[in-house]
Amino acid sequence: MRFDTVIIGGGLSSLVCGIKLQKAGERCLIISAGQNALHFSSGTFGLLGRLPDGSEVSEPMKSLSFLPEAHPYSKIGVDKMTEYVAGVPDFFESCGVRLHPSPRSGELGMPVNGYRVTPMGSFKPGWLAMDEVTLLQSKDDISWSRALIVNFSGFLDFNAGFIAEGLSRRGVECRVEAVTIADVENLRRNPTEMRSIGIARVMGKESNWKEFGSKVRELVKGEDLVILPEVFGLGDPVIIQWLREMIPAEVMFVGTMPPSVPGIRTQMRLKKSFEAAGGTFLQGDTAVDPLVENGRVISVHTVNLGKLSLSADNFVLASGHLFGKGLEATPSKVYEPVFGLDTDFPSDRKAWCDEDFFAPQGYDGYGVVCDELFRPSIEGRMIENLYVVGSEVGGCNSLYEGSGAGVAIMTAMSVADSILAGR
Amino acid sequence: MKDFDVIVVGGGITGAGTARDCALRGLSVLLIERDDIATGATGRNHGLLHSGARYAVTDRESAAECISENMILKKVARHCVDDTSGLFITLPEDDLAYQATFVESCHAAGIKAEVIDPKEALKMEPSVNPGIIGAVKVPDGCVDPFRLCSANIVDAKLHGAKIALRSEVVGFIKEGDTVRGVKVLDRSTHQVTDYYARVVVNAAGIWGHHIASLAGVNIGMFPAKGALLIFAHRVNGMVINRCRKPANADILVPGDTVCVIGTTSTRVPYEECDNMRVTPEEVSLLLSEGAKLAPCLEHTRILRGYAGVRPLVSADNDPSGRNISRGIVCLDHESRDGVKGLVSITGGKLMTYRLMAEIATDTVCRKLGVEATCQTAKLPLPGSEGGGLEKIAKKIWDVPTTAQKALVGRFGAGAAHLDFGEDKGGVICECEEVTVAEVDAAAEYLDVNDLVDLRRRTRVGMGTCQGELCACRAAGRLAKANGCASKARNDLKAFMRERWKGMYPVAWGETLREASYTQWVYSEVLGLNED
Repeated sequence: MRFDTVIIGGGLSSLVCGIKLQKAGERCLIISAGQNALHFSSGTFGLLGRLPDGSEVSEPMKSLSFLPEAHPYSKIGVDKMTEYVAGVPDFFESCGVRLHPSPRSGELGMPVNGYRVTPMGSFKPGWLAMDEVTLLQSKDDISWSRALIVNFSGFLDFNAGFIAEGLSRRGVECRVEAVTIADVENLRRNPTEMRSIGIARVMGKESNWKEFGSKVRELVKGEDLVILPEVFGLGDPVIIQWLREMIPAEVMFVGTMPPSVPGIRTQMRLKKSFEAAGGTFLQGDTAVDPLVENGRVISVHTVNLGKLSLSADNFVLASGHLFGKGLEATPSKVYEPVFGLDTDFPSDRKAWCDEDFFAPQGYDGYGVVCDELFRPSIEGRMIENLYVVGSEVGGCNSLYEGSGAGVAIMTAMSVADSILAGR
Repeated sequence: MKDFDVIVVGGGITGAGTARDCALRGLSVLLIERDDIATGATGRNHGLLHSGARYAVTDRESAAECISENMILKKVARHCVDDTSGLFITLPEDDLAYQATFVESCHAAGIKAEVIDPKEALKMEPSVNPGIIGAVKVPDGCVDPFRLCSANIVDAKLHGAKIALRSEVVGFIKEGDTVRGVKVLDRSTHQVTDYYARVVVNAAGIWGHHIASLAGVNIGMFPAKGALLIFAHRVNGMVINRCRKPANADILVPGDTVCVIGTTSTRVPYEECDNMRVTPEEVSLLLSEGAKLAPCLEHTRILRGYAGVRPLVSADNDPSGRNISRGIVCLDHESRDGVKGLVSITGGKLMTYRLMAEIATDTVCRKLGVEATCQTAKLPLPGSEGGGLEKIAKKIWDVPTTAQKALVGRFGAGAAHLDFGEDKGGVICECEEVTVAEVDAAAEYLDVNDLVDLRRRTRVGMGTCQGELCACRAAGRLAKANGCASKARNDLKAFMRERWKGMYPVAWGETLREASYTQWVYSEVLGLNED
């Protein structure tokens, strides 16, 4: 089978690249193994929250010049970064994903980091937030005096106590309540069903979210803030808006333990948009056995399709970091398993990790070695028609920087442009 | 009450067993532990229920102790024991002639040792190295040290003993050459309190050296570090040993859903005993030697590495400590050092704890002029009364679920007393099937102060995910039980650090992959590292 572009991996960077190409008339195939980082999303996209030296970033675009040369943002360059960043909200809007920035918007729509309340009651910087997620102007942007935090009885993946503790440290008086409705009680018969996604499915039914909403409404006793878990609007986020209208206080949704309902909704919508534009999405399959000749990828195969070869003009590798199995580690090396691309990592394994769990980890910055256009190499020889996007690109510690989504989107935009420019 | 017949120092298995034995004999007992139960060597070993075969050739006395205790524990602690039986295998590089000596010595020590055909051995234990040239079957098994320790504590309390956790002995109260009690620092309130007793038993493992020194007594100990690795699957059904003189990394023990390879033996300074770390060299050695026992270990995910310190009592100049007897040492400091009212019980092994406790309690009773016989060889521990695990589970539930069976495995007959009220059925830890009811019960009855304590009581976070999701759930539940979210939050941080400590030395492959996911969840999603 022949495509214009074959993309390996089904996460954020893959979908953004695929949608952009497909909408420009390219025939794309995405090979997706299964879950990706969107399933474990925080509900916000980060562009840059912290510099490698640890200093906090307020306006990411103003901090780009402090990034090292090997950083993917530095490879894209300030001009292109500015163009891409400005276009992101509209791009996602056109895919049915509404993202909103921090209320403190910058000049010409340039991003200013806002803060999200985490499930532990702490504050994390973010660039753009998904439907239900509230971005505060700053960690001290707390104008509420009393909060009501409502959980579902028996839902262990949302700990109201931690959120209450975090907010009360900032002067908000908190009250915690639990409610339930019949269909959620039914879920509890099988204890492992009581997870975010299970509840979200049940709450998609109109009678259910309405019953829940009115129970919450009855609980409100003069509080000016109501906090609910992010388990609503999996299929249609309009439920979130209706709940906000039903409840006589400002409503803030806070994340649960994974899987992430807003993240999965975003993934589903992006996938739908890609397919609506004519793209082919191969679910639950893994790319193997690439044919590489004279510095070009000719074709790849997949586990399920067997001998059927998938050829294309261009290939994009978007298979993720260690967790996505885009990279693998043995005691002596970090390697890329599909093509055997050159990777960058120190040979001394002691440098891979920090003894402190919460310190930045060296391994997070390892990845595939790429040129300015994100083209990788095999044993030093550049592969002309293969591009790498997302967390697999080396050169930045995206978990520490809070740049995971930003790197995914920016590299995907950049690579899509390179492919389109080469037509 | 601050006046007791006996104060036991140390909440490991020896201290717990001694406190129980003393309490069963009618003595008033206070047990003092500076941290939590089973934090030292008790929780940092193979969990091997030795048949004694390992020591049959080199240490006959220990071997005899082992087989006798092996048979006792299979009865009185059956809910902590998995009667797997074990193999002693001979590899082509080993001397097959040793097998005859081995079997002969086993028989002399009263250990059933049956030479079997290597092909037969492969059928019995398919994970074993197919290249074996000899195999002997022995009555080895495995024992859950946390459960065993907890059951002893529970029974000691049922018989009136007081248990003071997070309490550290900082000095002795002496009158002339007689110990009258101990000065105890409460590590939560930072207050020092005097407690009095007619006899103090030092059962502090390797830290017993320090405790004795506080009373002006020297016990020459030999801190021998042993490193081990836990794998994410139970690859073997039987314990696998090398049929040779005891050496490094030659025992593979199955336990619950995992298996453990170990150990090494290296002398370490006393100062390091509080913070044992597994080195890359130890990891390589354990892996390469382990793969000789069961080749599939080479491709099995490693969950974590850990190390404990054996409380050996030094004999001669032996750099590794391999040749020091694993036998029991009970020191009456009155006859040995002229210090009255102080007894030290040390040496020994996890699975000879009951005998150690009996010997220590006999000594105490003699000093106090109390005539009461030891019952622990006959009296089952709470949880081991009547029937097997299946039977117990069926008594409580008509058709027990796997979670309920797991619960009975941990609590034995005590599972019936847990509160399964409306809110308690949820599963906190999916790897180990730990329910809300169990976590609540541990918080209420088992002196759980934080998540690490909870892990020792319930196995929360011990499974393949190493606490990825369950730690946060359990923290939420403990916050509810203790009414303090900020403490639970700090505990959660400490728990994740503690889990990482064990993963760090083996951070590659699936282990690093899992860790990278955990780091994503706790940093990016939960923001636990932010304020």
